[in-house]
Amino acid sequence: MSPHKYYIVLVTLAFSCIAVVFLTFPRSKYSELEKRDLAKFPEYSPEKLRDNSFTKEISSWFSDSEPYRDELMTLSMKVNDAKKFSMRSEEDAVSFLAADDGDANDAQSPASSADEDIPQAAGNPLANENAKIAHSGIIIVGKEPNVRSLMAFGGSANGGGEFVNTVNKYKQEMPEVNVYAMVIPLASEYYTPDKAKKASKPQAPFIESVYARLKGAKGVPAHRELAAHTGEGIYLRTDHHWAPLGAFYAAKSLARTAGVPFKGLEAYDEKTIHNFVGSMYGYSKDISVKKSPENFIYHIPNGVAYNTTYRTYTVNSNYKVTKESAPAPGPFFYKFKDGSGGAYSTFMGSDMKLTKVKTGTNNNRRLLIIKDSYGNAVPGYLFYSFGEVHVVDFRYFTHNMKKYVRDNGITDIAFVVNCFNAYSSSAAKKMAHFLTQGDNSVSPSASEPQQKTKETKPAQKETKHEPDSRPAHDDKTPALPATPENQEQAPADPTPEIIPETSDKQ
Amino acid sequence: MVFSDLFFLFAFIPAFAICYLLANLIDKRLLRMSAEGKPRFKARNLTLVIFSLLFYAWGEAVYVFLMLICVLINYAAGLGIARFESRKRRKAALIVGLALDLALLGTFKYLGFFSQAFAQIGIETNAPQLALPIGISFYIFQSISYLVDVYRRESPVQRRFIDLLLYISMFPQLIAGPIVRYGTVAHEIHDRHVTAADFADGTYRFFIGLGKKVIIANMLSEIAEQFLVKGIDDLSIWGAIIGICAFTLQIYFDFSGYSDMAIGMGRCMGFHFCENFNHPYCCKSVTDFWRRWHMSLGSFFRDYAYIPMGGNRRHQALNLLTVWFLTGMWHGASWNFIIWGLYFGLVLAIEKFTIMKVIDRIPAILLRIYSLLIVIIGWGIFYFDDFGQMKKFFSSLSGRGSLEFGLLEESALWDNFWLWIAAVLLCMPLRRWLETATDKVLSPIPAIGPHAVATVRVGVSVCLLILSVALLVGATNNAFIYTRF
Repeated sequence: MSPHKYYIVLVTLAFSCIAVVFLTFPRSKYSELEKRDLAKFPEYSPEKLRDNSFTKEISSWFSDSEPYRDELMTLSMKVNDAKKFSMRSEEDAVSFLAADDGDANDAQSPASSADEDIPQAAGNPLANENAKIAHSGIIIVGKEPNVRSLMAFGGSANGGGEFVNTVNKYKQEMPEVNVYAMVIPLASEYYTPDKAKKASKPQAPFIESVYARLKGAKGVPAHRELAAHTGEGIYLRTDHHWAPLGAFYAAKSLARTAGVPFKGLEAYDEKTIHNFVGSMYGYSKDISVKKSPENFIYHIPNGVAYNTTYRTYTVNSNYKVTKESAPAPGPFFYKFKDGSGGAYSTFMGSDMKLTKVKTGTNNNRRLLIIKDSYGNAVPGYLFYSFGEVHVVDFRYFTHNMKKYVRDNGITDIAFVVNCFNAYSSSAAKKMAHFLTQGDNSVSPSASEPQQKTKETKPAQKETKHEPDSRPAHDDKTPALPATPENQEQAPADPTPEIIPETSDKQ
Repeated sequence: MVFSDLFFLFAFIPAFAICYLLANLIDKRLLRMSAEGKPRFKARNLTLVIFSLLFYAWGEAVYVFLMLICVLINYAAGLGIARFESRKRRKAALIVGLALDLALLGTFKYLGFFSQAFAQIGIETNAPQLALPIGISFYIFQSISYLVDVYRRESPVQRRFIDLLLYISMFPQLIAGPIVRYGTVAHEIHDRHVTAADFADGTYRFFIGLGKKVIIANMLSEIAEQFLVKGIDDLSIWGAIIGICAFTLQIYFDFSGYSDMAIGMGRCMGFHFCENFNHPYCCKSVTDFWRRWHMSLGSFFRDYAYIPMGGNRRHQALNLLTVWFLTGMWHGASWNFIIWGLYFGLVLAIEKFTIMKVIDRIPAILLRIYSLLIVIIGWGIFYFDDFGQMKKFFSSLSGRGSLEFGLLEESALWDNFWLWIAAVLLCMPLRRWLETATDKVLSPIPAIGPHAVATVRVGVSVCLLILSVALLVGATNNAFIYTRF
């Protein structure tokens, strides 16, 4: 055989093998790595054909749902890792992963005032730490196995106007109820090393400015409380969420603001999920995050009875609620196995729920928390503080808020969201809509039978992918970190092995 | 569709390859059956046209009809030119054809630009906002080359519509060049033959191009974007330098990668397109740069504009100005491209009377540094179609940006260290050197020599393919820069 033919035969063979795998093997449906559903084959419509979106969606379906997608993705991360210069000294290893598609920041100009009297994080333990910035607006600090990944914040101090309006509106419409706003900083507020400061804007000025604009409602200075404890594990290193311990300090701050009793950690049993690697591995696509597992530590109250009832939402493929189940009892804390990437779903198991916890505390105070996924970790520390704790996810709620508050005798409402969602006007509008929407307002698409439903029942062995328990920020949100949470449908951690914990005290 | 798309690689290409091979069998059979000479019908050409239209319609479901209209116009105009005997009539047919071509280009590419320009001086035109059809600048230029070549009797007229359609729409070069002259492929449209060497070289070339685009250009584009788009408001001097250097390398690997893939695919089918790049960043003068960069465009303007206008013989300055104005304008309906074109026109005019006269007496290294500087600054103009941002960029670059070498800058350099090295090395004729070297070392080994060289090539091709596939999974920003012109 001539060398040319020899080349042709071998290369054609290799190419054909890959083509056969890609064309005939079962397609990937879910990315463990990125924790999201992969693109589905688009539905045809003539309009979509005309504006070229049909063919475009086929192309993205094809490349998104490749067989062996995560393996190929891992290879691409290794390639990206290989282009780094590894001789850099420990102190110099800092990277930034610039956002993939960074829209410009929200039109608001940076704040000029209010910067002075903000307490700086009490001794950023990582001020001189080595760090790097990875793609997707993620800053990666340190080296394996102690890498910490941070999402950059790009908002200005005077943003969040819509959120302020919403909170004020709640107070205005329900003057008899105490209304609190708790805006939780992202980890980047405390752990961004000095040399990466330019990559992420400070969040305390933003939070303080939101609180300063509240009328009647109270701001919960959780960020100051957190700032005093940065040396402890208040944020997860490998997940975009904070750690339960951070939520504990924030809950303490909320209890103080609300004037209710609060118990220290001695009133809790500590539980640990070992070998946890969270969502930031998939977001940053930086392999060093995977090589830095951590312990996920949470706490279960041991001195108070609590009784959890869930109404579970069924949502369609656009994450619109199509059905609400009847109230059913369930555990508040779900138990995850060591190594499970979905450990943050320990609290209530998912976001797609309306939760009511009746506690053994008898003080006539009933709290309703309107939250994003950061808020999930908070209620578990408030069972000693309130007689009832209701938890509403800002994305899923089908009742009229005023009626719900009246019917359940709610005395306190707390907004518990992270900076991204406090900045996002679309999130705020959703929360404001609860005040005016009718009862049982499920999405009209409930009647569409072809829509797939996603249920997350408490005791389900196999959890379906649940939508975004990340800070969902819309296009108006500070865009430095245009992480995948732009897509609201990006689901969070599904974990096959949830074992409901039975330690709920009845 | 773009070449660096998994759907193109693993759905379109296999489907096309199978159909084309079947068509090849049909053609062979037809050849055997036909008594007198070669049959006119070519199943291969029909297959190629169908797939090219599919390829185009994939990205432009509506504008594919615009392209068909354009081909129809040129088909008629070509026949007209060939049919008339008198010079006047031939010229009239040519002018009508060219005018219609340019009218299409003007309407779909420049209407918005001109109406905006008029609006700025107070004349409202209410022109409709039309989306730019992909590749229109390329296929209109190919049409022009067809008409002019036929008019000049340099090429025969194409009497079969489908073959003209094939020339204009052939998917390897349809949306981003190289601008293939009709004369270059006229013969091969009717009669082409693929040797094993053609196919092997073509495939190899294709994988090289894919790697250039996916591995190098896409990674560099992230760096460039990080500084020149996201970081533009707060750009340090170093950021400006890193950003524009990243773009300089990106655009070369992006565009030359595309050309490699186009040329490679053409070779696999028996077409021999002209080269489009010849290591442009190794140039010794800006004049030299333009002989090495996007050669098909440069030679197009030389042959169809500069020389007909009088070239060096009369009002050379005006000719130069016009040609560079058009070159800039061709890249996009935006002032920055026009300024970019004129900038090079000016530099080239100056060079002609200064450096070019003493070029042998200047050390090569100085010439290279000077040329690269001019070219890189040019890319600074080219990159920003927003003047506000361009101003920010140049003011940072010229020293008003902070001198801080922060994390972003550090990360862009160190975390991409090997990427920079590879990109810079590959701008040089490194591959040619390496290939000659391997040839020299391996070929003389008896019995296995030639196969050893081929084995190295197989290894390179398969590695590039696998890495590209891995990097394309989850890639978000992957379009070729030149498809928007």
